[in-house]
Formats: sequence, C-alpha cells, structure tokens
Amino acid sequence: MEAYLIAILIVTAIYVLLSLGLTLQYGLTGLINFGHVGFFCIGAYAAAILSTAGGMPIGVGLLAGMVLAGLAAIPIGLVALRLRDDYFAIVTLGFSETVRLVVTSEGWLTKGVQGIPGIPKLIDGVGTGPALTILALVGLANLLAVMAFLRIVKSPFGRMIEAIRDNEDAVKALGKDPARFKIQVLVLGAVLAGLSGGFYAHYIGYVSPDQFLPIVTFYVWMAIIMGGVGRISGALVGTLLLMGFLEGSRFLRDLLPFISAVEMASIRIGVVGLALILFTLYRPQGLMGDYTRRK
Amino acid sequence: MKLSLNDISVRFGGFKAVDGVSLAIEPGTLVGIIGPNGAGKSTLFSMVTGFLQNGEGTVLLGDADISREAPFDRARHGMVRTFQVPREFAHLTVRENLMAAAPGQSGENLIDLFFRPGRVRAEEEAIRREAEETIDFLKLRAVADTSAGRLSGGQKKLLELGRALMTKPKLILLDEPFAGVNPVLIEALSGHIRALNRRGIGFVIIEHDLSALSRLVSMLHVMDQGRLLASGTPAEVLARKDVREAYLGGAA
Amino acid sequence: MAFWIELLISGVVAGLIIGLSALSITLVFGIARFPNAATGDTMTVGAYGALLGHRATNSLLVGGLTGAAAGALVGFLGYWFIFRKLAQRSNVALLVASIGLAFVLRAILGVSFGHSQQVFQLPLVRPWRIGGVPVHPNDLVLAAACAMILAIVFAILHLTPVGRRMRAVADDPALARVSGISPSGVMTVLWLLAGAVSASAGIVAGIKTVVSPEMGWDLLLPAFAAAIVGGIGSPVGAVAAGLLIGVVQELATPFVGFTYKIALSFLMMLVVLLVRPRGLFGKLEGAR
Repeated sequence: MEAYLIAILIVTAIYVLLSLGLTLQYGLTGLINFGHVGFFCIGAYAAAILSTAGGMPIGVGLLAGMVLAGLAAIPIGLVALRLRDDYFAIVTLGFSETVRLVVTSEGWLTKGVQGIPGIPKLIDGVGTGPALTILALVGLANLLAVMAFLRIVKSPFGRMIEAIRDNEDAVKALGKDPARFKIQVLVLGAVLAGLSGGFYAHYIGYVSPDQFLPIVTFYVWMAIIMGGVGRISGALVGTLLLMGFLEGSRFLRDLLPFISAVEMASIRIGVVGLALILFTLYRPQGLMGDYTRRK
Repeated sequence: MKLSLNDISVRFGGFKAVDGVSLAIEPGTLVGIIGPNGAGKSTLFSMVTGFLQNGEGTVLLGDADISREAPFDRARHGMVRTFQVPREFAHLTVRENLMAAAPGQSGENLIDLFFRPGRVRAEEEAIRREAEETIDFLKLRAVADTSAGRLSGGQKKLLELGRALMTKPKLILLDEPFAGVNPVLIEALSGHIRALNRRGIGFVIIEHDLSALSRLVSMLHVMDQGRLLASGTPAEVLARKDVREAYLGGAA
Repeated sequence: MAFWIELLISGVVAGLIIGLSALSITLVFGIARFPNAATGDTMTVGAYGALLGHRATNSLLVGGLTGAAAGALVGFLGYWFIFRKLAQRSNVALLVASIGLAFVLRAILGVSFGHSQQVFQLPLVRPWRIGGVPVHPNDLVLAAACAMILAIVFAILHLTPVGRRMRAVADDPALARVSGISPSGVMTVLWLLAGAVSASAGIVAGIKTVVSPEMGWDLLLPAFAAAIVGGIGSPVGAVAAGLLIGVVQELATPFVGFTYKIALSFLMMLVVLLVRPRGLFGKLEGAR
C-alpha cells in the first residue's frame, strides 16, 4: 500500500512541476502554450540518452535536460511572441509535434519508435527506503520551484507579467517591452518542464515518442483550469485533481475488465475534452477563484 | 521637448484616415486637438505613438526621428499616451498599477531579483513612496488597494493619468480624458492637468468636450476628415465659420 | 520524370485535402474569429460517416453524402452547444473549447469504431498510363470531387444572399449586426458548411489512405499552416496554400524522408509568419 502511495506522490510531484511552469506562462503572463509536452520530452530524452548511452551521472542528465529545454524556448519566443495569441498557440503546438517527429526519426540518437529502455532510477535499490528518497528529492525540487515561484509572483517582475496579461498595449505605452518578459517566462516554464521530464524518465525507466503526445499538454491545461488559473494553490489543487482522474481511470479499468486499455485511453481523452469544454463554459477561473490574489 | 509631425498620413485600404497632417507642439505647452467623430484624431495619436505601423510621414521628438520606433521605445523618450477606453491592469490594485509603470526597475530583471534583493527592496520602497504621492495627488486614496478592474469609469481615467505620471514624462498625450466623466471630475482632472503643466509637463489632448478643453488649453488644432482644418487659440479657432460648420453642423 | 509526375499528382490530391480543411478553418476564422481546432476531428467524423454510408449501400456517392452530413451536423452541434455560448469571450476560450470538442469527438469515434485502421472497400482498378505516367483513376475522381465541392462553396459564398451576408459579417461583425443582418442565421450556415467541408476533406483522405480515429488530428497542423500561409480569412488563399503545401510535401519526400514531410508545412507556416504575417492573400488587418 505505501509503495503505491509513494509512487502516486512521485508522479504527482512530477506533474506539479509541469503545472507550475504552465501557470507561470498562462496563468500569470497569458501565454497560450500548447506545446508544453515538447519541453517535457526534451528533458526526458536528454536525461535518458545521457544516463544510458552517454554514461553520465544522473545529475548531469537532469541539468542538461533543463538547459536544453530552456534553450529550445528561446527561438520559439523570438519567432512567435510577436504573433497574436491564437497563432502563438498553433506555433507552440507545431513545436511539440516537431520535437516528437525529430525524436521519432533520429533513431541513431533516440532509438526512434522503440524508445530507450533501462534508464537508471534516481536512487538505486528496491523497497520503501529508496522510494522515499526519490520522493524526497523530487519533493525538494518542488519546494524550490514553489519558493522561486512565490518570489517571482511577489516581485516587480511578477507584477509586470501580470500587467502584460491584463493589458499588453498599456505596458508598451508605458515604455516597457513585453517581449523581453515573455521570453524569460517561456524559458522558465520550459526549464521546469525539462526538469519534470528528467525526473519522469528516471522514474518510469523507459521513454518512447508516444509518451509525449499533445494530450499530455492538455492534461496539464486541464489541471490548471480546474485548479484555478494564475495561482500556485490552483496549480497544486489542479494537479491533485488530475492525478485523481488519471489514477481513477486506472481503477475503473480494474473494476470493469471488459474495457480494453485502448478504449480507456479514448475515454480519458474524451473526459479531458469534456472538462476543457465545461470549465471554459461555466467556470473559466477554476475552483480556486479568479486571478486576483486579494479580495 | 518639441514634438514635430511632418506630413503624417494613415491609410486603411483605400481610405485615408489621416491626410498630410503637419503640426508642431512646443515643449511644456497645453494643446488640444478637436474634430468631429471620424476626423482621424485617435488614428493620429496611434500613429504618433507607434501603435499603428502603416503610416507615412515623420515624427520628431526634439531632434530624434522616432518614426520607425516601437511604441515602448517612443515612450522611453518621455512621450506617454493614455487610451480613450482605459486600459487598466484589471487584476492589479491601483497602487500596483502605478508601481508597475515606474521605469528602470531592477526588480523586473530576474538576475537582480534573485541576486540583488537589497537593491530591489530599496527601489520598491522608493517607487511605493512615489505611487503613494500620486495616489494622494489624484485623490484615489480610498481605492488604493482595490483591483483596478473594479473602479468606476472616472477613477480608471484618473488611474490612466497616474500611470502616465509615474513614467516621469515630458509630454503626455491624453485621448479623450473627459469622455464619460461627470462634470465635477472633469474640473478635478483639469485642475490636475494645469498643476502638472505648471511643473513643466506638456499635454496634447484629444477631446470632444469643447467647453472644458477650450478653458484648459492655450492652443487648439481642428481636424476634419483626416486633414488639419485650423490652428490657433481657442477663441480664434472657435470663432471661425468653417470650424463651426465642420464640428457643430452650423449651430454655435 | 514519370516518378516526379506521380509525386506531383499525389501532392495535388494531398493538397486538395489540406486545402479543403484549410478552407473550413479559414471560413470559421473569418466569421467566428477563432482557429477551430476541432476541424481535424470533424474530418475524421466525415470519414467514418462515409464509411458507414458506403458499407450500407455500396455507393461512394451515398457515403460521401452521409459523411458530409455527419460533418455538418457535428459543426452545427458544436456551434449550438458550445461556440455560440462563448461568442462574447476571448478567442482563447473558443480555441480551448474547440480543443475540448476535438478530444470528445475523437474519444467517441475511438470507442465506437476501435483503433484499428479501416479502409473503404473499393474495387481494384489498374492505373491508367498517360504518357508513361501511372495515373490512378481514383485520384482523378477524388480531384474532380474536390473541385466540385470547392465550386459549390464558392458559389454559396458569392452567388447567394446568405453567402453575401457571411462575407459582410467576415468583414466587420459589428457593422453587419448594425445593418440588420442577424448573425445567428449566418452562423448556422457557416457551421453547417464548415463541418461539411472538413468532413469532405476527411472522406477524401480516408478513401486515399485509411480511416482511423487519429487521422484528422494528424492533418490539423498542415491545415492550420495552409490557412495561415494562404492568409487567414481568405478562402482562395486557403485552397491555394493547401495545394502548395501538399505538392511541396510530396516532392520533398525523397529528400527529407517520410516522417519529416509534415514538419515542412510547419516550417512554411513559420516562414510566412516571420516574413509576411498576413499570408499570400490575406487582407491587412486594420487598427486594433
């Protein structure tokens, strides 16, 4: 039982990093990033390749994943941030699909469709001891991320990105260039997603291209929409709801064995779609209220 | 800082919204631009401040040719605009709106934020004091901690002016500051503008409310159908028949 | 040489598919003012609808009609229950909701029909040889069908009163409302039309290749790319850009490989966005 709980918490912590990144980008700055899974994928594959074929220590792989994901965000920022928000969304979606295409094609590096197995765990060994240590590590990363997030939110930088979200033209009229801030936010969110991807690779032990489909991006969107856009509490609550949903669907399959795995995947996609529709229609601010941090 | 507009034209498809307008605005003056709806006043503003990119002609601030500069670069020269429909940062409080407008904050730089917290804190203190002064000057004390989205229309206009002030401008372009505002507030706003002008800040004001504007400004420019129709003191300009016809349809 | 002409023909058919779906996107964008991410999965609905119709009657024509009808219905239901209620909200809200709709459609199709690929059981026809080039009569029929569909759409847009109203709304929705054109009549026709058009694209794709629940979503990015390259809001642009992208993708396949050809459409879209954001035929956006 406790092994199961620890596992759930680890996966939750991995998703929290993704949610925090997207909250920074969309919740606070208003960037419609539909390509979040692309950065997740870069982080996961960097960690996977460097720790297996590359023979590097795990820390190096994780760091490389963060850096590469962050670097990937820069050209996207430069190209796409001048575009209107819906075009930006499409371009980011194209980005994550292109990442998946590259991963699928460049088999010499990524082993293509077959994927990379045998990725070492963060901490070696079986049983609750190592598992708890892994949880502690990922949890620590979460804590640091939350602390950095809080520092940013309460700062002039945080004020400015919310101003950009609320009214970009006014920001320009006051003499500040929104693009500068948006690129930094894009990079920060990407770095978090890259770290999350690295943890994911070391946790699951195996990566392949079809673990990084757009549906993952929209899992995270669903999480932050449900939890409450623009607040840390929203990102946390939303991620818990997302985990409940993902695990719940797994339980459902155990209870109803006549549903195949593929069918359950379809049902999950349908539920995510329905959640996106319903929340957009009836409660766009999510469960934790709207953007305002005060009454 | 003199603002010179040379032969400004703006075309939308085949339609010329602004047609060959040339103006000079001396530093520190209070100037108004009036004209009927659709005369091209707001389009002119947008062109001058860089929010429209499809225009012709040159814009000079002092000696600098800013015709090709991005809007935020133009604002950094000391020329700030407000918007006809206020563009408040709805989810920030009034105080936060004002503080966001202050230029040159190292706290907006991530490196400084994490590695020079002392300096960031000191700057925040200074900016906060300025914001409080502005709040008192504009008499917005009662709503200082309210989200800007919840303000009344008139309060939002005051906030627009306040934000512009925080940038320490030399020239403020006000886009219909009196529209939809009650007469008492109009008087208050006019008072603020006069006081700021005495401190050396120049104003260019687009307005519809002729009486309030003519009491405020020393010089009026009249636009009609994209062209500059007349320029002069309010008394001179309003006495002209062609101005009265264009603007008021004949009735005085 | 024959090899290249074969690729060219293949590219034209692919281009017509992309062009039709881009047409649907650009119609919706021009009038409802948001990028409809459910276009891809509406294509899939059309393909499955046609499959059912064809299986029941062994007539491709009936299949085509059932598929188009299914698409039109989906388009209308999406408008009625979702997009209509979001009309006052930001285009982001509409975009996110359309992603939700796309997922719901795909889920329903996946559960109803399963994930294996299905094909249209069509009689095997040997390709003709025209000047040494193998030409499949199916391709000709499909191309002709696409041309006919495009003709119908353009006829509706330019020759009927409702089409005129649609174009008026596209040019300026506020103006259209003020001059007494009720938006909702226009919207109903728009969504029926857009749904039928994307369904047609899906049917052609399904006949040319296979039918599977993911097929529409996989074609969504090239469709968006074509709409943007052609100039969003321009029906002619969408089709022209679709053909361009289709042909370029096929002709480039020997060089870049099969997997990367989809990335080409994305690349073309990026180039256009950087160099000429209003696309090939788009109108210049006025002051905002």
